[in-house]
Amino acid sequence: MSEFTNTGAFPAVRPDDDAEREARHQVLATLLGAYADGEVPTETASQIDAHLLGCVRCRREFDVHRSIRARLELESIAPATAALRDRIIAGINTTPIALVRASSPDQAGSFRGRVASRSARALAALAVAAVMLTGLMWWRRSHEPASAPVTVVAELSVVLFSEVLDDYRRVTATELPGRSRDLATVRAALPFPVRALVSPELRLLAAWTTDLRGEPAAVLAYRWNDQLILQYVVSEQLLFRPAEVRRAFADGHRLAARSGAQSVIAWPASASGELLVADLSVNALASLRASVNDR
Amino acid sequence: MPADSRLADRQARFQTLVLPHLDRLSGFARRRTGSIGDAEDVVQDACMRAWGAFDELRDETCVRAWLYRIVRTVLSDSLKKEGRRRQLVSITRLEDAHEAMVGGDPDFAFSEVVGRIDREVLHAALATIPEDFAVAVELHDIDGFKYHEIAEITAVPIGTVMSRISRGRRLLAGAIVESRAAWALGAHAPVDPRVTSLRLRGKGA
Repeated sequence: MSEFTNTGAFPAVRPDDDAEREARHQVLATLLGAYADGEVPTETASQIDAHLLGCVRCRREFDVHRSIRARLELESIAPATAALRDRIIAGINTTPIALVRASSPDQAGSFRGRVASRSARALAALAVAAVMLTGLMWWRRSHEPASAPVTVVAELSVVLFSEVLDDYRRVTATELPGRSRDLATVRAALPFPVRALVSPELRLLAAWTTDLRGEPAAVLAYRWNDQLILQYVVSEQLLFRPAEVRRAFADGHRLAARSGAQSVIAWPASASGELLVADLSVNALASLRASVNDR
Repeated sequence: MPADSRLADRQARFQTLVLPHLDRLSGFARRRTGSIGDAEDVVQDACMRAWGAFDELRDETCVRAWLYRIVRTVLSDSLKKEGRRRQLVSITRLEDAHEAMVGGDPDFAFSEVVGRIDREVLHAALATIPEDFAVAVELHDIDGFKYHEIAEITAVPIGTVMSRISRGRRLLAGAIVESRAAWALGAHAPVDPRVTSLRLRGKGA
């Protein structure tokens, strides 16, 4: 319910009536804020002008409004972080919800029905194909050897490795940009599945999105024996682009590189590509990968 | 127009309209949540909801108020879910402090006091007054909205906005005067944290 609804002029009263004078002050007390903000009608403003000339209490009340407003107007606004901007941009670049909704009203009645019927049949066929494909992928994954052989290449021979290592160094030099509860948001923002690694010895610390070679990627940070491990999840198109990667995967190998104190290891997931980076040896990373599941 | 092109156009338009307001939206959310991380979660969630409902924005000149309204909804959902409550001081005590100030010592210059207080004291004082009053005052005085826009954002009649701003500033003045008195007595906390929230709830609507 509104606490005050009369925005017109306050009532005229006899100046010698104390009760009404107090009532007038009470009305003014509510109006003075709006008066200070230029939000009362001209007629009311004129009456308040006249009243203020002879009323010390209301002048002080008016001063309260004016000075608080002046102080609050000086409040500086801190810029939003770059990580927030990046997450929002990644979100809208990969969540075309509005476009899907916007396209449906363009279609006319009977045409819409035919399209809907055809679409339903196509969707059903796609669903069957997806189930079969998922089953096949699951079978392949479940039969994949836990410790696949690793091919080690020079870091610079795979540009994706260089970018991932650079990103790892940049991130680990500062505060982690996300938190573990961001995982659901990260998953919603990316067009490919993002599976977290699961092991009693791994604890998820944070999740966020980033750009690798101009394409969106997820980053999941874990604690493992007091060591920070970063898992990068990229699209399969991005992972399979380099010839070295395709050759290694075709031979059933994982691909790894060492650069200074850091190593990176990459492997294909069912509908994405994954990389682990840490200040560890290639062998240690390969063992870690072999010891975890994902979900 | 091809779907890819339409999507790219929509994304570009969204970024042009929404991203310039992130700083202020984050500031508003931070004052409500008290933490940068929580505020960013709120703003991110609000932006994704805005993206999903982008078609509902008919008038692009209203985008700022529209975004604040979505942020308010997200904040409200978040507070319901997490059950967080602000600590409030007695509204009657703040009103008494304000009344004593405007009716008391004629040499006391409130404008000088409020002009000198630092950011922390100001934010602590804002945090002690009921949420609805603080939001109305901040939307006007910090974020620069007009009364009719605040009525749209908070979904209340304009008369209620007028009343909340007026009363909110008076309570804020009371909180500032109290904190000044507390300092004079050597207290550590700027305001008395005694909670009488049960008495206060329902007065802000």
